[in-house]
Amino acid sequence: MKKILVIDDEAIVRTSCERTLVPEGYELRLATNGREGIAFMEKEQFSLVLLDLKMPDMDGIEVLNKINTTWPDTKVVMITGYSTVDTAVQALRLGAYNFIEKPFTPDTLLGAVKEAFEK
Amino acid sequence: MKNIFSHPEKSIAAKLIIATGLLIVVVSFIFWYATLKKQEKDVMSIALTYGDSFVKFTKRSTRHSMLTYNSEETQGVLETLGTPEGVQRVRIYNHQGNVLFSSNLKNVGTPVDRTSLACTSCHSDLGKSAALIPDPVKWSVHKDEKGSTSLKMVSEIPNEPDCYNASCHVHPREQEVLGFVEADLSLALLDEALFKQGLALTVYVIVFVLAVSMFLGIINYKIVTHPVHKLSKGMERVAGGDLDYSVQINSVDEIGVLASTFNSMIKDLKAARDQREKWTQTLEDEIAKKTEEIRKTHVNLVQTEKLASLGRMAAGVAHEINNPLTGVVTFAHLLKKGFAPDSPQAQDLDIIIEQSERCSKIIKNLLTFARATPSEKGSVSINDVLNRTVFMVQNQEKFHHIKFNVVLENSQFIIVGDSSQFQQIFLNMFINAADAMGGRGSIHVATRSATEEGKPYVEIEFTDEGTGIKPEDMPKLFEPFFTTKPVGKGTGLGLSVSHGIVKHFGGNIKVKSEVGKGTSFFVRLPLQEK
Repeated sequence: MKKILVIDDEAIVRTSCERTLVPEGYELRLATNGREGIAFMEKEQFSLVLLDLKMPDMDGIEVLNKINTTWPDTKVVMITGYSTVDTAVQALRLGAYNFIEKPFTPDTLLGAVKEAFEK
Repeated sequence: MKNIFSHPEKSIAAKLIIATGLLIVVVSFIFWYATLKKQEKDVMSIALTYGDSFVKFTKRSTRHSMLTYNSEETQGVLETLGTPEGVQRVRIYNHQGNVLFSSNLKNVGTPVDRTSLACTSCHSDLGKSAALIPDPVKWSVHKDEKGSTSLKMVSEIPNEPDCYNASCHVHPREQEVLGFVEADLSLALLDEALFKQGLALTVYVIVFVLAVSMFLGIINYKIVTHPVHKLSKGMERVAGGDLDYSVQINSVDEIGVLASTFNSMIKDLKAARDQREKWTQTLEDEIAKKTEEIRKTHVNLVQTEKLASLGRMAAGVAHEINNPLTGVVTFAHLLKKGFAPDSPQAQDLDIIIEQSERCSKIIKNLLTFARATPSEKGSVSINDVLNRTVFMVQNQEKFHHIKFNVVLENSQFIIVGDSSQFQQIFLNMFINAADAMGGRGSIHVATRSATEEGKPYVEIEFTDEGTGIKPEDMPKLFEPFFTTKPVGKGTGLGLSVSHGIVKHFGGNIKVKSEVGKGTSFFVRLPLQEK
């Protein structure tokens, strides 16, 4: 089962992911913040997490650390704005699998997800 | 100080004049009094001499008639002697005081007053005839009924052989004094003479006192009052701040010395004041300079802060816009899948996607310029970076028709920093120059050493042959989002970001521009002191 968790505080970003990935056969869970995302992960198992870097309450890097330590098999692709490229690079160093920049096209997203599942 | 001149009686001159005047008056009065007394004494002594002579003359004139006991003749002589003016009365009386003969016949036979000079001059006590005054004064002066002085002279007639041997036997031999001759003489004429002399003397003294006082006053005014007045006027002027004034007193006395000392004091004061004013001016200039520096620093600080907050705001806004853009792009793509690729709907959606991507690009640029990059610091050679940037832009299409004239000073110009930041500045300058020239012309690039406030700087010049900058645009040049380029061509951030970077390194950017001729930018960056 290709199960993906999207953690983003922006509804439009979550919807974009859903509308792009669900028709391609992926099963999605949508979380509006880091805490909610962690709660999902404690109940279900995910192969991939699409994680927004900048969120209120709990930061993307924090969530990434938690995922890395608790569920090391789950891959994380960071979603980032251009201004936080440096942070994205830092995220890669911390163990994120990849990152995509906002605004992304459906093709970019799909490409990144496919790549993550292939390897 | 003014009071002395409004109250002249309080001045030194007045005091001196009053003091000397008083002295002269007192001395003159003593002189006047003494002279009058002396004259009186002299006149009296002359009067006495004449009086004495008159008495003696009376005695001689009557001697014969007395010896012959011819009473009528004696009375006749006395009446004759009493005729001249000045002789008031001549009398002869015996020792008992009975008047025997008189120039005035009515007196004959009357007794003499016991208190009269004839008795009291010899007898201290008439009861004891033996008590005689040893040195009798035989004259007296008194005022008569008319108020004029009159001299009374008394002379005794002593007994002598001719008398007691005379045939009449009136006088015994033992009798010492036979009688007295008494003469009353008027001194009215002498009184008048004395009065006239006294008057003349008084007038003389008064004239003398007045003349001396006046003379003293004039002298005093000339050598004291006038010059002191001048001095005090000078002091008033000086006190009022007029230090160009000098007192004109050329005398060689104490006041002259005082005046010249005063003048040299004014000169010193003036010199001191000029010096002080010069210092004050220098200080004011210094303060004005520092104030201007502080103001400039403050303006720069505000500008920097403005830029920084604008950058933060831009970054936040840009980041937020990325989220809705993601939605727009995704859904445009999803929608497009429902139409044939050649359909007008698909073409419309392509425009939406294209424009969204344009928005995305604008945001990228904005963020590139606004973000504070944690840069890789190292020693950077400004000449190397310049050369690299020139080489890079020369291969761009935008610069194909632009000639580069590069004159770099043969020096390393090392600055510790991030080379990409300097490259960004230079790139901005080249892009602006190319835009200003419409893509054709030549850009002059030069580096040279400069010094600011004793510290070494490198100055990088960028001169174009473009349209120039309008004077009214000059103040806004470094403001974010200010641009003269057509919409979509410039973000208005190039110069403000460059300015921010240069400021960060402690440098500055100066601009010289002439509309229609071109613009020169001078970027100065501080070098590390060796």
